[in-house]
Amino acid sequence: MGLEEELCCVERNNINNKGGRAWKEERGKRKEERGKRREKMENSSQESQLRSENCISYESAYPIYGMAFSPQSQRVALGSFIEEYTNRVDILSFQPESLSLTPHPSLSFDHPYPPTKLMFHPRKPHLLATSGDYLRLWELRDSSVDALSLFNNSKTSEFCAPLTSFDWNHIDHNRIGTSSIDTTCTIWDIERAIVETQLIAHDKEVYDIAWGEARVFASVSADASVRIFDLRDKEHSTIIYESPHPDTPLLRLAWNKQDLRYMATILMDSNKVVILDIRSPTTPVAQLERHRGSVNAISWAPHSSTHICSAGDDSQALIWEFPTLSSPTSIDPICMYSAPSEINQLQWSSSHPDWIAIAFANKIQLLKV
Amino acid sequence: MEAECDNMHPVFCSLSTFDLCDYLQNQKMVPENLKKQLALAVRSIHWSYAIFWTDSTAQPGVLSWGEGYYNGDIKTRKTSQGVELNSDQIGWQRSEQLRELFKSLKTSEISPQTKRPSAALSPEDLTDAEWYYLVCMSFIFNIGQGLPGRSLAKGQPIWLNNAHSADCKVFSRSLLAKSASIETIVCFPFREGVIELGTTEQVSEDLSLIERIKTSFLNSLHVNVPNDPGATLKSKNLEDHAYVTFDHNAYDVESIPEVGYDIANTTSPDGSSNAFQANQPLDETFMVERITGGTSQVQSWQVIDDELSNCVHNSMNSSDCISQTFASPEIIASAPNYNKPSDPCTRDLQKCNNPKMTLVDPRSDDLHYQRVLSSLLKSSDQLTMGMHLQKFHQESSFVSWKKGESMDCQWPRAGTSQKLLKKILFEVPQMHLDGLHESQEENDYKEGMRVEADENGMNHVMSERRRRAKLNERFLTLRSMVPSFSKDDKVSILDDAIQYLKKLERRIKELEAQRGVTDTETGTRRSPQDMVERTSDHYFSKNNNSKKPWIKKRKACGVDETGREINSDALKGSYSNDVTVSTSDKEIVIEMKCPSRAGRLLEIMEAVNSFNIDFNSVQSTEADGNLYLTIKSVFTGATITTTKRIKQALQKVASKC
Repeated sequence: MGLEEELCCVERNNINNKGGRAWKEERGKRKEERGKRREKMENSSQESQLRSENCISYESAYPIYGMAFSPQSQRVALGSFIEEYTNRVDILSFQPESLSLTPHPSLSFDHPYPPTKLMFHPRKPHLLATSGDYLRLWELRDSSVDALSLFNNSKTSEFCAPLTSFDWNHIDHNRIGTSSIDTTCTIWDIERAIVETQLIAHDKEVYDIAWGEARVFASVSADASVRIFDLRDKEHSTIIYESPHPDTPLLRLAWNKQDLRYMATILMDSNKVVILDIRSPTTPVAQLERHRGSVNAISWAPHSSTHICSAGDDSQALIWEFPTLSSPTSIDPICMYSAPSEINQLQWSSSHPDWIAIAFANKIQLLKV
Repeated sequence: MEAECDNMHPVFCSLSTFDLCDYLQNQKMVPENLKKQLALAVRSIHWSYAIFWTDSTAQPGVLSWGEGYYNGDIKTRKTSQGVELNSDQIGWQRSEQLRELFKSLKTSEISPQTKRPSAALSPEDLTDAEWYYLVCMSFIFNIGQGLPGRSLAKGQPIWLNNAHSADCKVFSRSLLAKSASIETIVCFPFREGVIELGTTEQVSEDLSLIERIKTSFLNSLHVNVPNDPGATLKSKNLEDHAYVTFDHNAYDVESIPEVGYDIANTTSPDGSSNAFQANQPLDETFMVERITGGTSQVQSWQVIDDELSNCVHNSMNSSDCISQTFASPEIIASAPNYNKPSDPCTRDLQKCNNPKMTLVDPRSDDLHYQRVLSSLLKSSDQLTMGMHLQKFHQESSFVSWKKGESMDCQWPRAGTSQKLLKKILFEVPQMHLDGLHESQEENDYKEGMRVEADENGMNHVMSERRRRAKLNERFLTLRSMVPSFSKDDKVSILDDAIQYLKKLERRIKELEAQRGVTDTETGTRRSPQDMVERTSDHYFSKNNNSKKPWIKKRKACGVDETGREINSDALKGSYSNDVTVSTSDKEIVIEMKCPSRAGRLLEIMEAVNSFNIDFNSVQSTEADGNLYLTIKSVFTGATITTTKRIKQALQKVASKC
């Protein structure tokens, strides 16, 4: 021991570290779900998922990219990735109790080219938005889907530049921000179907957008920067991060809704998840570098500010807990899941925080955390 | 005791649980006015903080937080009273608040699903130095280890400069110190413990400073000042009582506090907040039972103490409340609810252990260090999550991550990384753009038919519709051209078209074969002499005119060889090298004219030979510097060369000079 200053454990006990712990369940919700489940069990004969222990698989007829959990219902939306004009969006029902995913064939609809993102309305489970050539709003009826509206911001032309992503404002639900390859971000008032504002956000294509507050959003771009915009001051944006290699596009962005100081981004062809603290611009607070392939998707825990899940080409989904103070590059994930192939998409359910969905090839899996 | 309490209202039995001996012992460890003296000492030298590390009551031989005073920077100040305080009071209050915050953080760690009890400070209000001070509260040192431990073991002061850059083996808190800009740390033994002083200034070693502090402040401490426990209900003393109370080993820990919860609820006048408080110690007791290491015991006692002091604060020094708190666990001792899986409290209790377990698992110092920090720095909301995640119970799809564990799979794999993501971001927009251009072209093409986009801009859909309409139209045309045998769909139409084309091709071959038969017949009918005669006739008689004989000849041939296919363009040209190649079945007739020169004939013959052609007859004449050549031959090779290729080859030879 000698000179070593030992950090003693605050506590030491003999409980097996891997001992079983039940997740806290909100009992009220459980009961409600049980009721729903009973209803649905009756007509779920056509379940096509492979069920295994605490992991629900669903195999689609086509490769999957877009995926969204409904924050207010049991629904999951899947967007196909077919390199042709006609693509599909499928709606599934997820029953955590019976560990089942049930497709709703009557709610499937065509989408022109693959949707680049799907997202449910933060409050209304029957509204789904997709992005691609336009931002589209769909209404899911009981057994049909209506294309509610299509948002085209170009007055002069009948088309606008294709959209790479969008984000539904979680505070002001009438507001959706879209990011486009024409270097702009457009903020829509979907209630009035008008453009609230359009900002030339970056020097190059904008690849992702994320809301922080009702009027504050951030975006990432091929110009290798993360910028924050405040709708109250449209003249200025703040660059809070620039990737060390100026030509490395930043592909995705996730803003920690539980602790708005933090956001995460991923780089092209990089195994890093870069965690940013908006209070310390330009210097990431942490870089999570335990993926052995490039990272494809990130998602913050919906109910914890310190947990983030990432998934990548190494077919792994890793959950990280990043300590506020620690050597920023040596953070290890706390747990992992290995999928059969490259994971392309990742969503952490906010209505069921103990479930994470991943998409690989033409399958999705719901993983219990 | 428990039996006694079983049926009693908690209030009645609470005070009887106090153990005076333990209480007094504790008093000896932390002299009553130590804090005051520490405050005086640290203020006199304008250092940032003072900590008294003392032998822990639970596990002798381990140093833990005994007392402390914070004198450093303060970011914000929340004074509930709104009364202006002088600097002494501020410092004093701040130290108290920090301690309280630490306790509340510990509390929230224990019962994450409840709200953190209100502390005067929240973690966001703290400066870096305060964080340092706060986190120090969680440290424990074995004697001989760590700065305080070594100082005590040697009985000598240790003066550490550049604490922020010290090797973490020497000073494990160096990273923390760095964040707090703590530069100088001094430890010196004092009574049964060690006093640690720290400052953000760089202070060179000065042992006289230590002496001065010792003599002027610390020697005036009262030791062993026994207070009458029953008479003092000041919060400080109550804290001590708490120690004592929970040091009582008589709890039946296997009892579960659902009952306790209820009791606390019903007995506490403050309602739910008190109930929560009351429940805290129960959680603790449950844990205590499981703790094996003495070190941890110290801490858990401390936590109990924390709970109680919170309770004290919340209940405005009401002894009633405290006694309820103390009492409830005992009542619960008899509650036989243990291990009912459906019992929410049981679950909660089990969860309470989660953070502890992570703290306990010292896989590496680094890891432990992070855990300590992260668990302390988290707010209660965040902890809820941490709790869930730190547990990979059997139900989870995730397994705990281990370095290098999954190195067996073959990564990195070949191929594009982020394939789908890149396609989505780079290619899909391009698909849309291409689609748009296409539709625009279509629009331009059929201007009149251009459909105005509706206000929703459904033009893309429209263009696609138009494209499909055109496709369908073409399919219909195709179908009308092809005899249809099968169904009406597009695949069938294409199938029929393919069949039909094949049929037509076969038919062409048949016809060609028939034609070949007639050709050979006519060929044999015609005598070679005739040919020679005729050609020579023409060639010799019409000397200068290069065209006429060919035209005539063609006419002649046209009569005789009706089925023969003649390359007419050879005749059109006015070049001096004209080549005509005609074939029928396996017979080939080559007629050519080119400028004459030495070796030309040989070259031509070689070129013709290269096509596996056997000569039946070769006639050549030369006139006016031009070579006229007629070759009759048959193919012998397996492959039949096309007339075009032969012609090209010959023209090449002919154009050579």
